[in-house]
Amino acid sequence: MIWSNMETLDREAFRKIQLERLKKTVPRVYNNVPFYKKAFQEAGVEPGDIKTLEDVSKLPMTVKQDFRDNYPFGLFSSPQEEIVRFHASSGTTGKPTVVGYTRNDMDTWSECVARMVSMAGVTNKDTAQISFGYGLFTGALGLQQGLERIGASVIPMSSGNTKKQIMIMKDFRTTTLISTPSYALHMAEIAREMGVDPKTDLNLKFGLFGGEGSTEAMRNELIDSWGLFATENYGMSELIGPGVSGECEALCGMHINEDHFLPEIIDPKTGKVLGEGEVGELVITTITKEALPIIRYRTKDITSLHYEKCECGRTTVRMSKIQGRSDDMLILGGVNVFPSQIEEVLLNTEGIGPHYQIKVFKKGYLDKIEVDVELIDANLLDSFSLLEALRNTIKGRLRTVLGIDAKVTLLEPRSLARFEGKAQRVIDMRGAK
Amino acid sequence: MLVKQISIFIPNVKGSLAKLTSILVKNNIDIRAISVFDTTEFGILRLVVDNPEETVSILTKEGIVAKISDVLAVEPEDKPGSLDEIFQILSDNDINIDYIYSYVMRMRELPYIVLKTDHMEKAAKILIERGIKVIQ
Ligand SMILES: [Zn+2]
Repeated sequence: MIWSNMETLDREAFRKIQLERLKKTVPRVYNNVPFYKKAFQEAGVEPGDIKTLEDVSKLPMTVKQDFRDNYPFGLFSSPQEEIVRFHASSGTTGKPTVVGYTRNDMDTWSECVARMVSMAGVTNKDTAQISFGYGLFTGALGLQQGLERIGASVIPMSSGNTKKQIMIMKDFRTTTLISTPSYALHMAEIAREMGVDPKTDLNLKFGLFGGEGSTEAMRNELIDSWGLFATENYGMSELIGPGVSGECEALCGMHINEDHFLPEIIDPKTGKVLGEGEVGELVITTITKEALPIIRYRTKDITSLHYEKCECGRTTVRMSKIQGRSDDMLILGGVNVFPSQIEEVLLNTEGIGPHYQIKVFKKGYLDKIEVDVELIDANLLDSFSLLEALRNTIKGRLRTVLGIDAKVTLLEPRSLARFEGKAQRVIDMRGAK
Repeated sequence: MLVKQISIFIPNVKGSLAKLTSILVKNNIDIRAISVFDTTEFGILRLVVDNPEETVSILTKEGIVAKISDVLAVEPEDKPGSLDEIFQILSDNDINIDYIYSYVMRMRELPYIVLKTDHMEKAAKILIERGIKVIQ
């Protein structure tokens, strides 16, 4: 169901609200955040220069490093007494990215997630098991607030302890699973090991997956494993957490809550703003946040925007499935490759499991790639030639996306790493000394 | 007239054979015949054991890819040319041998020969007709 009438406004109404809110956000950061004042001055722009929605492109962009440089509270627009919650995301190196929320921000956040879970089909009749890790991460608590707002029954399970997850899922008659796609695959595997068929012995109807990108092939794998309706959602702590956008039941992109988030697509190399339907990096300006409004945040995610009305009835702009991250993009012998393209090939190949590991390294001046997969089809053991044919099929299909030959290694089931949170399937050793 | 053999996937990873044999020992599974065919990248191990179904279910639980298939076990006579005779018969009848290995039973001097061919039933029937001893 459509949770809010803000999801069905006509385009002109959206633009009017967005401009109004942008015009309030810009002076807020200019006057409260020295980092932004300086950045505005360097870009030669003042709050008064924002007269139309398109003027947003005159504003300076914000990147993840700016959060680190201003650790912990340097980008905040509100004083501590107005902050009611902190969250943080751990970077791989150095200090975490710290974010804060005022009471109004908490309300905005819950509202955005309430819309998102309603879009996925969840109602107050559902019991939702949250298998994201709790703690400083925004994922688990963000989903919890939104689910509670629509009246669903929440099980704050957190990630890990997978056997117990399955037991609770069975005993509490969980209908909705919230997790990363890779953890959901792992959970299905453990359930089957325990003698529980996720399709017939459980009551799952909806899977809301987020926290990491996934492909259509991964979605199909999740549907096959769990027998549920799988949607994907998108968000990041720098912007609010989960709730920036999510898929509706029509499955044709993720609706952005654009009365709160103003999206643009840019060419990641030149920074030039691209048009509707063009593929580039998603840049978002938060237009209602109080504690931590962010101007033109470079998400690094590669996607495109589509404005025509959706068959679900919503008019909010849709972003297409994330094709990859501009900083995950692998350049192999001059060819640009996203790990998602490799995943698509592997998940569409019969005989192997959905888990994989990619290793990239240099041999002399040449880029080399190794792909490890798990053999699951015992019927291929009748002869060597069947196993070799499988390996050659994978190699051949990978060659069409990679442009170079990968070394493909077949391993036993369950021999590759499993992930309870965000999967780390690509190891690029080219930077290592 | 056919014998059940287990085919097992052996990745080219250090310790994979040892892992397999330790599972077999732990479950008191006697190996009657074993043979490994490998390349530099992976191998297929063939086993003959007393309880193939049970063994496959144990192995599968341990995360090993294993499959039962039928093979032909013959007992060549103790005379020169006895293997040649078997191969000639199969060849004359357009039966291809995919692979072959042998195993020794206690109390016997000569090994049994295990054969995998493209037409198993036909091969067994013809060999029996020609007086070759096929293990039941
Ligand atoms: Zn829709």
